[in-house]
Amino acid sequence: MKVSETMQAWMDIAPEWILNGPKWIGDFCYDFFKSFIYDDRWMQYAEGLGNTLLLTALALVLGLVLGVIVSLIRVSWDNTHTELQPGIGKFFLGLGNAICKVYLTVIRGTPVVVQIMIIFFVIMASSNNKILAGVVAFGINSGAYVAEIIRGGIMSIDRGQMEAGRSMGFGYVPTMRYIILPQAFKNVLPSLVNEFIVLLKETSIAGYVGLTDLTRAANIVRGVAYVDFLPLLGVAAIYLILVLFFTWLMGKLERRLRSSER
Amino acid sequence: MSDNIIIRATEVKKHFKGGQIKALDGVSADIKKGEVVVIIGPSGSGKSTFLRCLNLLEVPTGGQIFFNGVDITDKKVDINLHRQKMGMVFQHFNLFPHMTILQNLTLAPIQLLKKTREEAESKALALLERVGLADRANAYPSQLSGGQKQRVAIVRALAMEPEVMLFDEPTSALDPEMVGEVLEVMKQLADEGMTMVVVTHEMGFAREVGDRVLFMADGKLLEEGSPEELFRNPQHHRLQDFLSKVL
Repeated sequence: MKVSETMQAWMDIAPEWILNGPKWIGDFCYDFFKSFIYDDRWMQYAEGLGNTLLLTALALVLGLVLGVIVSLIRVSWDNTHTELQPGIGKFFLGLGNAICKVYLTVIRGTPVVVQIMIIFFVIMASSNNKILAGVVAFGINSGAYVAEIIRGGIMSIDRGQMEAGRSMGFGYVPTMRYIILPQAFKNVLPSLVNEFIVLLKETSIAGYVGLTDLTRAANIVRGVAYVDFLPLLGVAAIYLILVLFFTWLMGKLERRLRSSER
Repeated sequence: MSDNIIIRATEVKKHFKGGQIKALDGVSADIKKGEVVVIIGPSGSGKSTFLRCLNLLEVPTGGQIFFNGVDITDKKVDINLHRQKMGMVFQHFNLFPHMTILQNLTLAPIQLLKKTREEAESKALALLERVGLADRANAYPSQLSGGQKQRVAIVRALAMEPEVMLFDEPTSALDPEMVGEVLEVMKQLADEGMTMVVVTHEMGFAREVGDRVLFMADGKLLEEGSPEELFRNPQHHRLQDFLSKVL
């Protein structure tokens, strides 16, 4: 009987007791070998994981920057437009507010897969940097959700806080900076962590545009190793571990932030 | 304008919904230096709105507010500079919960008056000493009782060395047993010659500490005079009615 190269490699390293044991254990171990070990395939997952983390981290930064800017424009307009004097300042704030509203509506109203394909195949079609295109797409998408989270956080702060700051002689911006935003940030931290976790998992669609993230790496291995299930189970486990880790980390941070008030 | 008038309000109006609702309907009053003016009236009378108009937390829809002779309702005036000299104490304290008491007291002096941290902190501690809370300097607002919070709020305003203090129902959110300690601090302040405008339901305080009492109802100033006159011999039937209910 002719033995394939892969099978031969497996026979060479497999312990005796597995080869002699029940068939289903042997099959499972052989699948595992093909999915992760043979031909250093774990490297492909590692590379994909690296891309996923890089993409998530950079998109998170872009999303946070966009989100903070958009939420501040939205809140400032809502807070002050009835009292603001007509003029150049009010005009630009109003214009910014309108742009932000369109941005929020479009991004939150269309699927992220469509957005990433538009950015990748149309807007950034001339760029060869897949990671960059991914960061832009996911950053812009995440920014819309972050903006609404932060806006909610700012609006949840009692209006008396703004009044107290203003009554002491602080302008609108310094009151925001010293009094409102620190409190709002603390309040929205859990939601922001949640958004980060969503983002981490959402990057698994990056394969749609050929970016080799963790999910796509698993899919590629499935193709070459002829194993249906294990690579997917493997990445699912990796995602789960990541999410559990970040949840734990943020739980700690949150407790620390809260403890300063009691 | 006479020199010792620190705040002059002329025909101050606050209308909503195009004049359908008149929270303030032309209120004029002068506050003299060193004077304690107490504003009383039934709820919804506009007394808090009027007080909040004095430092433009509420922007009047008509009339003028002069502070030290400057019309602060003029849009060209930098209201932030004038607010530094008008301390305000709120019904719900509005301490900054993310800061310690000491930080609450030093934030504005450091940022706005450009004091050094040491200067601001020693001043803050002296103020806390005065209201008997020096030992709570490093506590957070949530660790304080209502009465303590309000005393901190008063000294937070004093830390800016204001020329006038505005009190917006400072004891209304307090448990009854804590009202006394806050009124005591206010009385002390009045004795030291601080100019104060106080919106309150504490008729005892109005009578004892007030130099002048204003009675408001339905957005109008209906009667004013010394506490003696007002409480003993009220003229307007709304005031008679009001006093019969609260005294």
